[in-house]
Amino acid sequence: MSSNRELAMSSYVGIGIGLMVIVGIEVILTYQHLPTRTLLFSLLCLGGLEAFVAIMYLMQVKYEKPILFWTVFPATLFVFVFLCYLWPDAFRMFNMRLMQ
Amino acid sequence: MAAVTQPEVLMEPSPYAMDKKKLGMWVFIISDACTFAAFLFAYGYMRVGAPVWGTPFGVSSIVNGMVMTAVLLSSSLTMLAAVRAAQNGTKASTNKWLGITMLLGAIFAALHLREWFKLIGEGWRLFYNPTGGAAQFGACFFSVTGLHMTHVVTGVIALAFVARGFNQGRYDDSHVETAGLYWHFVDIVWMFVFPLMYLMNAH
Repeated sequence: MSSNRELAMSSYVGIGIGLMVIVGIEVILTYQHLPTRTLLFSLLCLGGLEAFVAIMYLMQVKYEKPILFWTVFPATLFVFVFLCYLWPDAFRMFNMRLMQ
Repeated sequence: MAAVTQPEVLMEPSPYAMDKKKLGMWVFIISDACTFAAFLFAYGYMRVGAPVWGTPFGVSSIVNGMVMTAVLLSSSLTMLAAVRAAQNGTKASTNKWLGITMLLGAIFAALHLREWFKLIGEGWRLFYNPTGGAAQFGACFFSVTGLHMTHVVTGVIALAFVARGFNQGRYDDSHVETAGLYWHFVDIVWMFVFPLMYLMNAH
C-alpha cells in the first residue's frame, strides 16, 4: 500500500547516487591493505547500510504498514545469525593450519 | 447473495493491507535471501578454512564491477519510474521505462559474462585454480555470481512478460509494482555479492 508520502523521483536519484558513493568507499577501503577481518567487517557494514537504504526507499518498505517490516526483517536476520554456526568450524580449520 | 459472489466481504482484511501478489513476492524474496545467504556463508566458510585463496581480480575487473553496480542501480531507478508511470496509467511511459530497465539488465548480464570469460581465459574453472591455491574459489565465484546472473536474466524475461501484459491491458500497475520488488531485490543481493566476491578477492 504505497502512499502519497513517497519521495519525488529526484530524491530517488539522490539515493542512487548516495549508494554509488558507498560503493566507491568500499573500493577505496579495498586498496587500503587493511587486515582481512577488518576489511570484511567494513564491507559487510557498508553492504548492510546500502541494503537497508534500498529496502526502505527503493522497495518502499518505509511507506508500507510497519507490520510488514516487523514480520519480515527480524525473522530473516534471525536466520542469518543462525547461519553463523558455521564459523567455529571454519576457524578450527584456520587454527589447525597455523599449528602445522 | 452478495456475500456468495464476493467472498472477500466475509473475510477479515489482511493486516498487511497490501495486494496478495505483493505479499507473495515478499515471501519469495525472504526465501531467496536465505538461499543467497547460505551460498555466501558457505563461501566464507571455505575461504577462512582454505590455506591459500585465489585473488584474481585486478583493477580492470574492479572497475568493471563498479560499472556493473552503476548499471544495476540505474536499472532500479528506471524500475521505480516504470512503477510510477504504471500507477499514473500511462502505458507509453511504463513501456519506455520497463524497456530501459530490461536493457540495463541485459547490459549487466553481458558485462558479467565478459568477466566470466576473462576468468575462464585465465584458466579458472569450477574445480581448478590456475595459480595453484585453493580450488574452491572457482566453485564459489561461478556459483554465487551464476545464481545472481540467473536472477537478472529471469527478471528481464519477467519484465518483458509484465510489459506485454500491461500493454494488452491484462495486467495492471500492481503487477508492475510486484515485478519491481523482485528487481530491487536482485539489486540488493548484488550489494553483498560485489564486495564479498570481487573486492575481497582483489589483488
